Amino acid sequence: MARIACFVEKYNFADSREEEALKSFKTVAERLGHEFHFMFRRDISLIPKYDALFIRATTDPLYTAYVFSKTAWEYGLRVIDDPKSIQICANKIHQYKLFEKFDIPRIPTVFLNKEELHHKQILDIFEDFGKPVVLKAPYTSFSRYVEKVSCEASFRDVARRFFRKSDVLAVQKFMPSRFDWRVGVLNGEVLYVCKYMMPKGKWKHGAKRRGKPSFVWGRTVSLKRENAPARLREVALKACSVVGSGLYGVDLKEAGGDYVVVEVNDNPSIYKNSEDLRDRDIYEKVIEYLAG
Amino acid sequence: MKPAEFLNSSVRDFVLNINNDYWYMKAGYYVSLHAELLGDKVIPPSENIIDASRLPVLLVKASKAGIPVLHYLVTDSAKQIMSELGFPVAIFAVNPFIQHGYRTAANRTALYKAVKSLSMNYKYNVCAQPLSGEMVSFKSIFGRCEVKDEQVKEISRRLYQIFSIPVCKLHVQQVEDRAYLCGFEPLRKEEIRPSDLKVISEEVLRFSGKASMIG
Repeated sequence: MARIACFVEKYNFADSREEEALKSFKTVAERLGHEFHFMFRRDISLIPKYDALFIRATTDPLYTAYVFSKTAWEYGLRVIDDPKSIQICANKIHQYKLFEKFDIPRIPTVFLNKEELHHKQILDIFEDFGKPVVLKAPYTSFSRYVEKVSCEASFRDVARRFFRKSDVLAVQKFMPSRFDWRVGVLNGEVLYVCKYMMPKGKWKHGAKRRGKPSFVWGRTVSLKRENAPARLREVALKACSVVGSGLYGVDLKEAGGDYVVVEVNDNPSIYKNSEDLRDRDIYEKVIEYLAG
Repeated sequence: MKPAEFLNSSVRDFVLNINNDYWYMKAGYYVSLHAELLGDKVIPPSENIIDASRLPVLLVKASKAGIPVLHYLVTDSAKQIMSELGFPVAIFAVNPFIQHGYRTAANRTALYKAVKSLSMNYKYNVCAQPLSGEMVSFKSIFGRCEVKDEQVKEISRRLYQIFSIPVCKLHVQQVEDRAYLCGFEPLRKEEIRPSDLKVISEEVLRFSGKASMIG
């Protein structure tokens, strides 16, 4: 019997589908004979009482979730998301440099330092990648801080905004598609597969409504993991292998008959009747991993 | 070598990354990260840069290594601090925006004010520690400090052994005849004096021939 803590913030219960998924984790854990308790921000001192920590709050080295993860790691708990995975996945510069080092099929990417934001550099990037290009802040998540630019003026505007928090950012070739593949991976095995569709007229799965602060999200189409293309699964697993052995959501695009990795996310969304629609055993698999 | 130059290089060496501010996602952080991805040994490692700036993580790791730390509370609740620690207390920020300083509170009003401010309106936790002695704040350069007290010197030395952050500022509390590590923060450029640069130069000389120096 394992005692599992699940670190959540209030916003994890704002969407009923996520709330239902969290309840499923608890139900499944208890059915398998384990304890499963939700843990909030002020409960960090309770970490040593548990055997495993499952983080569902948004992760970033500067957020509370990292403090929970690293504290649990130091006390010897099994942790999803472990601190190394957070460090790599929360910073896309770190991640793309790893992909470069280990030759993971990826979207063509260059890095831009704060000092390099000048006319010649921008022209070179447009010449290599064509127009538009995608500027990505290292701390992007939920489709935020990723913007498409087609001219030098907007390139400079967006880059200056992203440089406020990070001294390096990523510039990528624009590769439009109707959907991104999302492959859920746990401990080097495919957990679920779905397509994150782009909303009509948009190029990202989550896009801001014109003139409004709210976001519009594309549909999620699930398929059974064994029905997903073998090469897709292979590329997703290869990308995760350089990050770690935890729980990841890999975004990929189809390009020229093959697949390229957009990014590997730790802390992937798991919503009821969405990611879990075709593979209902994902709850058991995550709990079994945590229970050790 | 300047950080921007190093980030575009593929130098294979032992890298000494000297910066007054290693804040996450700033040049100092990326220099260490770049060196690690090239397979170089680097001081300080990127993981330590992150961990040192997250106070509860710093305290857990320091405590595991035998550095004395006081009982601390990580919370966003002033009520919890009052009931578990009482007064007076020292409050440190644990959020992505505030890197410097701490506040002290000797009564309920001061505590609520400090927690509201350092938790960014209760959005993040703070780290509260009892304030039962004298707080000493000092610069630590390659683990060396100008404080006379031997216990404080030892904390500075040991912390450098664990985290290898060459330039930083530490907060230590002296309670009766014991010293306890309380906080860590980056050094502001204006806090660096010529005598500190001299210490840095001496330390760099010790590494010379063994390391590429970025800073």
